[in-house]
Amino acid sequence: MVRNKNTKEMITAEETDILQEIMNIAFGRAASDLAEYIDIFVILSVPYVKLLHAADLPPYISKEIKDYDKVSVVEQNFWGKFKGNAFLIFPSGTGKKMISLFDGGDEFIESDPIYEMEKETFREVGNILIGACVGKIAELLGDVITYSPPRVVIEKSHRGIVSNSLFDPDNLAIVLRTLFEFNEKNISGFLFIVTSQESFAWLKTALHKFLEQYE
Amino acid sequence: MVDIGLVVLDKDLRIRHWNRWMQLHSDTDADKMIGSLVFESFPNLKQPRFINNCKAVLTFGSFSFFSQKLHHYLFPFKPVSSFDSQFDFMQQNCTMGPLRNEDGSIEYIFIAIHDVTETVNYEQKLMEMNLRDTLTEIHNRRSLEISLKEEIERHKRYGHPLSMIMFDIDYFKRVNDTYGHQCGDFILKQIAETIENNLRSHDIFARYGGEEFCCLLPETSIEQAANLAERFRQKISQKPYRYQDTNIDVTISLGVSTLNEETITAEMLLKKADTGLYAAKDAGRDRVVVEK
Amino acid sequence: MIKRILIVDDSPISIKIMKSCIPKDKDYELFDAADGQIGLEKYKDIKPDLTFMDLTMPVMNGFQALEEIMKLDQRAIVIIVTADVQVKAVAKAHDLGAFSLLKKPPTKESIAAAIKEAADALAKRG
Repeated sequence: MVRNKNTKEMITAEETDILQEIMNIAFGRAASDLAEYIDIFVILSVPYVKLLHAADLPPYISKEIKDYDKVSVVEQNFWGKFKGNAFLIFPSGTGKKMISLFDGGDEFIESDPIYEMEKETFREVGNILIGACVGKIAELLGDVITYSPPRVVIEKSHRGIVSNSLFDPDNLAIVLRTLFEFNEKNISGFLFIVTSQESFAWLKTALHKFLEQYE
Repeated sequence: MVDIGLVVLDKDLRIRHWNRWMQLHSDTDADKMIGSLVFESFPNLKQPRFINNCKAVLTFGSFSFFSQKLHHYLFPFKPVSSFDSQFDFMQQNCTMGPLRNEDGSIEYIFIAIHDVTETVNYEQKLMEMNLRDTLTEIHNRRSLEISLKEEIERHKRYGHPLSMIMFDIDYFKRVNDTYGHQCGDFILKQIAETIENNLRSHDIFARYGGEEFCCLLPETSIEQAANLAERFRQKISQKPYRYQDTNIDVTISLGVSTLNEETITAEMLLKKADTGLYAAKDAGRDRVVVEK
Repeated sequence: MIKRILIVDDSPISIKIMKSCIPKDKDYELFDAADGQIGLEKYKDIKPDLTFMDLTMPVMNGFQALEEIMKLDQRAIVIIVTADVQVKAVAKAHDLGAFSLLKKPPTKESIAAAIKEAADALAKRG
């Protein structure tokens, strides 16, 4: 566990466990609601929660996705009491499969550059996927969240996906990581949800409140 | 009045609010719209993308963004100003989000509509300017490089042939020195026009350097490209250009290349065409050399 | 009658939540296991009347453990506990012989109903 000068803002092992279980429930529900309401079928692996120094965040994510040569990334900020950034990371070559899964491509003008089409498909699918996962976590914790429009980069090197300037490097951060898979077209990738120390105080309270319902 | 369209839909996607801006642009009063399904007046919205995004907002409380770039518009309205506009419909950026009750439950969706027609118009004009050669009005080198990248990507996906013709004007310096730069510019313009008239609409024709031009030919085999190059050569050499009562004979030298097993990148394709062009010069000019 | 209940889940928090939702007045004997493998061993040991089984677990997942338990005891009552109730998963659970499916997070009401349903089925079997 990482310790900080300010012990109040430490996240305990039990709190990590609660967060882990909440993620588990949130992602499971996100997956079943996506299937039921929006016809998107995903499998989300057991989520993993990690507490680390913000400065270690970019190398951590690079290491996690090191098997991917080039990647396409959808990034979205979210703001509520729970606030941070979400990164959906797909390996190179996903765009094409994604287009055939979600689009006949009929809406696109033929002369549109091919990358533009990939980008917009990533944007739409990413927005829904991130919204579903983050939205369910917020719901379980009793928060309401607003989102930035998603930003997309295509076929980028796996290094430097997350900027060093994302959070104050002296702060702590929590990374929630899950691997997801679309069952049909053999598309898989990572979802990272990153939240900074600013949300810790609220998060701790919300986690205990969640557990209190059962005590 | 707020310069933004605001629509509120309920869970069944019936219109619950239709603000003044929407009334103005749709030319329909709110009381005519309220209570009706949004598809009744806007059948174009009856498509999975729109419906799925509505459901995502209702289910997850997330937001959805309909960019002008992808969707152009959600509500087909007339552009506010028809002056100098290239669009039949108002270009829109739209945001969709949840409206919550006090207990946090979601009952309604809002859609905010921004008119971005003028911005997009301006953007496109700038972009266009940025990709054109000012003298000949054909594509510039930057534009060619962008198209080349895209076409190579397309080739990789679909495997259709992609060929290139690179050519330059023989003894162009002599034209400039003898008749002056204005005449040189005139010749450049004339040649660009002659070639342009012999190309298909999806071929990309660019001024690559001073007197050097390049044609990128999608869906074209090397044999077809070689034939086309020969036709260019004949057209130019048969036609004397007339500048201020003087007949000026010009010829061009051409190199042809194509993507194949050993030529796979943009740089290689350009390099091969260039090699062909120089081989044509070395062999006495006014000819085509195909680099396989 | 239901006496012994086994909870198989890799999350200590989830086990805690499950236990807190199980009615206190019936004096059930509660057991737990941290993955499918341990769950299977415990099952052989204590022969529970009812098993709550999580799906996503390390070592042996819930589907595998369910399959093994059903091989061992065709009359086993295993309730799958999961947040992801996609049609495919539900169908698979039933195909493998799960008694029913309980949605996460559980509530006192949903657990009480699930236990009652299991008890009724047991009573019918006589």
